[in-house]
Amino acid sequence: MGTENPGRPAYPGRPATTPFGAPPPPNVRPFSSTPPIPGSGPSTFRPTTAPPSQANTPFASSGPMAETEAPGFQPRPPSTFSNPSAAPPPALPSYGSPAPGARNFQRFSTPQFTQAPQGPPARPPTMGQAPFGTPPAALVPGAPPAFRPTANVPAVPMGLPPQRATYAPPGGSVPQLPSESVPSVPRPNFQQSYPAADPSVPTGRPTVPPLFPGYPNQRPHAPPPATLSQSPFAARPAGDVPAPVVASPFQTHQGGYVQPHTVPAPFGMPPRDPMQHSASGPPSNAMYGLMEDFNSLSIGSVPGSLDPGVDSKALPRPLDGDVEPTSFREMFPLNCHSRYLRLTTSAIPNSQSLISRWHLPLGAVVCPLAEVPEGEEVSIVNFASSGIIRCRRCRTYINPYVTFTDAGRKWRCNICSLLNDVPGDYYAPLDAMGKRVDFDQRPELAKGSVEFVAPTEYMVRPPMPPLYFFLIDVSVSAVRSGMIEVVAQTIRSCLDDLPGFPRTQIGFITYDSTIHFYNMKSSLTQPQMMVVSDLDDIFVPLPDDLLVNLSESKTVVETFLDSLPSMFQDNVNVESAFGPALKAALMVMSQLGGKLLIFQNTLPSLGVGRLKLRGDDVRVYGTDKEPALRTPEDPFYKQMAADLTKYQIGANVYAFSDRYTDIASIGTLAKYTGGQIYYYPAFQSASHKEKLRHELARDLTRETAWEAVMRIRCGKGIRFTSYHGNFMLRSTDLLALPSVDCDKAYAMQLSLEETLLTTQTVYFQVALLYTASCGERRIRVHTAAAPVVTDLGEMYRQADTGAVISLFTRLAIEKTLSHKLEDARTAVQQRIVKALREYRNLHSVQHRLGGRMIYPESLKYLPLYGLALCKSTALRGSYADASLDERSAAGFTMMALPVKKLLKLLYPNLLRIDEYLLKPSASAQDAESTMKARLPLTMDSLDSRGLYLFDDGFRFILWFGRMLSPEISQNLLGHDFAADLSRVAFSERDSEMSRKLCALLQKIRESDPSYYHLCHLVRQGEQPREAILIMSLVDDQIGGTSGYVDWIMQIHRQVQQNA
Amino acid sequence: MGDLYAWLVSFFFIVALLVIIVWQLMCLADLEFDYINPYDSSSRINRVIMPEFLVQGVLCFFYLVTGHWAMALLSVPYLYYNVDLYMRRQHLVDVTEIYNMLKWEKKQRLFKLAYLILLLFLTIFWMIMAALDEHDHE
Repeated sequence: MGTENPGRPAYPGRPATTPFGAPPPPNVRPFSSTPPIPGSGPSTFRPTTAPPSQANTPFASSGPMAETEAPGFQPRPPSTFSNPSAAPPPALPSYGSPAPGARNFQRFSTPQFTQAPQGPPARPPTMGQAPFGTPPAALVPGAPPAFRPTANVPAVPMGLPPQRATYAPPGGSVPQLPSESVPSVPRPNFQQSYPAADPSVPTGRPTVPPLFPGYPNQRPHAPPPATLSQSPFAARPAGDVPAPVVASPFQTHQGGYVQPHTVPAPFGMPPRDPMQHSASGPPSNAMYGLMEDFNSLSIGSVPGSLDPGVDSKALPRPLDGDVEPTSFREMFPLNCHSRYLRLTTSAIPNSQSLISRWHLPLGAVVCPLAEVPEGEEVSIVNFASSGIIRCRRCRTYINPYVTFTDAGRKWRCNICSLLNDVPGDYYAPLDAMGKRVDFDQRPELAKGSVEFVAPTEYMVRPPMPPLYFFLIDVSVSAVRSGMIEVVAQTIRSCLDDLPGFPRTQIGFITYDSTIHFYNMKSSLTQPQMMVVSDLDDIFVPLPDDLLVNLSESKTVVETFLDSLPSMFQDNVNVESAFGPALKAALMVMSQLGGKLLIFQNTLPSLGVGRLKLRGDDVRVYGTDKEPALRTPEDPFYKQMAADLTKYQIGANVYAFSDRYTDIASIGTLAKYTGGQIYYYPAFQSASHKEKLRHELARDLTRETAWEAVMRIRCGKGIRFTSYHGNFMLRSTDLLALPSVDCDKAYAMQLSLEETLLTTQTVYFQVALLYTASCGERRIRVHTAAAPVVTDLGEMYRQADTGAVISLFTRLAIEKTLSHKLEDARTAVQQRIVKALREYRNLHSVQHRLGGRMIYPESLKYLPLYGLALCKSTALRGSYADASLDERSAAGFTMMALPVKKLLKLLYPNLLRIDEYLLKPSASAQDAESTMKARLPLTMDSLDSRGLYLFDDGFRFILWFGRMLSPEISQNLLGHDFAADLSRVAFSERDSEMSRKLCALLQKIRESDPSYYHLCHLVRQGEQPREAILIMSLVDDQIGGTSGYVDWIMQIHRQVQQNA
Repeated sequence: MGDLYAWLVSFFFIVALLVIIVWQLMCLADLEFDYINPYDSSSRINRVIMPEFLVQGVLCFFYLVTGHWAMALLSVPYLYYNVDLYMRRQHLVDVTEIYNMLKWEKKQRLFKLAYLILLLFLTIFWMIMAALDEHDHE
């Protein structure tokens, strides 16, 4: 896996002359005679791999070996060798001549090998110290002849990129072989890889330049002279030295070869092999530039073997979590932070044809209220007197990218280029650079994210108070599960923390087969309950006293919450009049709007909106009727959702049943009102209490924006055409969000309105107009700029996997509502294939790619996340793999998740924690490093002697290996440690180890507070319980789904078809 | 004489249908240009959808009983389409997804419009033929 850079022009050419300046070696051989040995690889190569002698050749693939300095290898540090033996490469090939660019270049230029013999024998090999540069005098002339024979290696077939030309020198006869091999030239164009270097060559090497005049860039670069004397080889014992083999670090091409190991190490992965570094020497900057062009993975199987030819360990995995693209921020430092806005590619295409070749979604993921770390709060600006400054025509808010002209009296809108007047109050003169003198004091001109205080023109009514209304199912199943008690306690404990004191309003309705209203007027001492049993014609008794001000009626509310569990403890009513209760809640809330929290425990069975038990007819699955099960059965729910939004009511649905409750229908209420679904299958207060308590408390106390609308504006020529997430569209580009908070993100797709964009930069501005809990109307504005490009390669280079996957997820889930699951999964795969194929075509012109799979560095995790998406609860398998409710709930949740949380859900963290627990004195750093050491999600990562923690942001799974020391289990689980883990509840025990584990879990929970991680315990081999973990091991092949290796092979095969 | 009246009646039916379809298209266009909110737009459209289906059904039946089986046959696809929509419960505009469906809803109505105009011309043609026939008889 090397990265190649197909010709970037900018590379510094290598110096034409090698430093040595010696005349061309007399005995230079043309390449043709000495083909590389790839084919024979295994046999010859292996032996030579003795660590000390071997060096890897880097050259390989990249064409332009432009590295100016530094040994040829250096440039590609990223590539990892897989070859262990190579590890101690004493001599880094310092060839200067690596880049053989042309065929003409027949001479072998392994010049630099000067290293040599002269080194003092005892000297330890110095890695990285390139030998080159040794004065010619030092070279050993005698050696060459001996090598000759070895040089004749089988030629590499064209097309197969040569991998490495290593040759084994004939036995001990040539002990002092200074340098060796040169590897191959992977460059496609040249078929001939250089043969091994002759020892003799070095002496003459310098003169390479004349040989290939035509390829300036490819000339050998000058080795740094300074390193001369340190030749690594020096240490070599005289007689038995195998010739040092230079292994190329880039083993990119191994595909075609019959190499024993394929070593596709993706660039950018954490180095698995120490060699990498040593081989590469100090990286030069130029090389980094080169590397970014693309990555490749060699894929190719040995004919006749079952080995797929891909080393699963070497495939790219996001073990460092989500890495946000940074170039975007560097280019435009005034942009808002990527936590608020992420584009799927930071390079906007300038034409329709580019978009059609991009194949991935083009758009953005916006999380307008993302949580910010301490100290980075969005600054609040109040333009009291001048009013909010906006463009007259396009209504863009003032932002850091507007330009002031006419001595500061006018400003030009960056989105529509209209010249606007600067209001008198806002005037400030410009300095010599054309910047306003008060630039630093104005956050709206200095920061990409800012919040304006909106004057009365931005209100259609006085700002509403925060309002919480609870709709609680009190039928028998709710009573039995203990849900009512937990809910009542949690609400009571949160009363003081509800935002917006002292304006906060609160109200309750409970229902079974009748609807119960509660009058909680502050003059009462006890709440008064009113029962309405006429479900067909709902009316609201006492419309004024059902919603009360919390600060005034607090004691009544508290009394009510205290008595609520006992009021219904003997209720045996099994019916649920959910629809009528919902209508009643709408009537009560319609004056003000607010947040409606629905606690539903059974399938709605009475009145309007009653639902049928669907989905127990197995014959429906797999037919065209299947998708209908994932959409609301009764139009009542969509209509209600629309009405709720209209009255600024946001609904959050908490569903608890162990039986079918038709989340697909009920969840619609949350989907179109900007809410969220919390699903607790088979809720039992004993086990789920903490989870419900945490999540409900967060829902009640997190900062919430009320009666909000959001619009995203962008420059002329482009337009947002579709929006995906939980909200309702109020007009073509206006998202209505009755309540919105930091855990919600929205995705949108862009399209070009004009065939060609002529501007250099496009700007995006997200504006969220909302009422803060304190009662102030505010506008949060995030502005970002992105360059317009004409080059598809640049688009791929600037792609953001997180945003792409976020959009893919939303599109795929929407597709499951009208198509089969299979179709949605295929669509994901097809889009990945198309994108990679396009990318391949882009580079296949300049490079012979052979059997390698290539992909841009920026999208290296795309295939894996695509696979994880196909295996996610919302999309995986068929009907038997996830119940309808689970699938719908997962779909609704994923539609709203911000990028980072979604990526974590798709590719969860797997940590090994037994070592940490056993360490006698573990510091915070140990915990930190344990939390960072993520493992690939495969069975191979699980050692039966270990204890593992699996964390997907929603739950923990503790996996106890079969051979885990009983001491650990006993410490963590108490006396139950040998029992069936499904019956053991995890809790803190009285032992050091248990406290340590709880502290660790607590730490992780605090770092990701959106959802409570419920802890599940699993013991290795304990079926069927272990399946909850096994199903989540994305890299493995489980029940009919493909594993990561197969998936890559499939994608690769499809990319190559009609490539 | 009866024939002429039959054509005249069917002419008015078709004109009524045309008016309904054009009204729906206007609502959709207003929505697209943001002159109206989705709630009003969808409730206005949904209010006339059942009348449209009924009028169309009656027209088809009317053709059949007056013996104009060719015209009845011509309007059967339209009827089938409507019944199919109704059976799938997709005949009404969905207010929550109206923007995503806008293109499709408009296209569907434009096709209906073209279809009705064709029927209208045929009806006028037959009406004139019937009138001329009448005239010849006298």
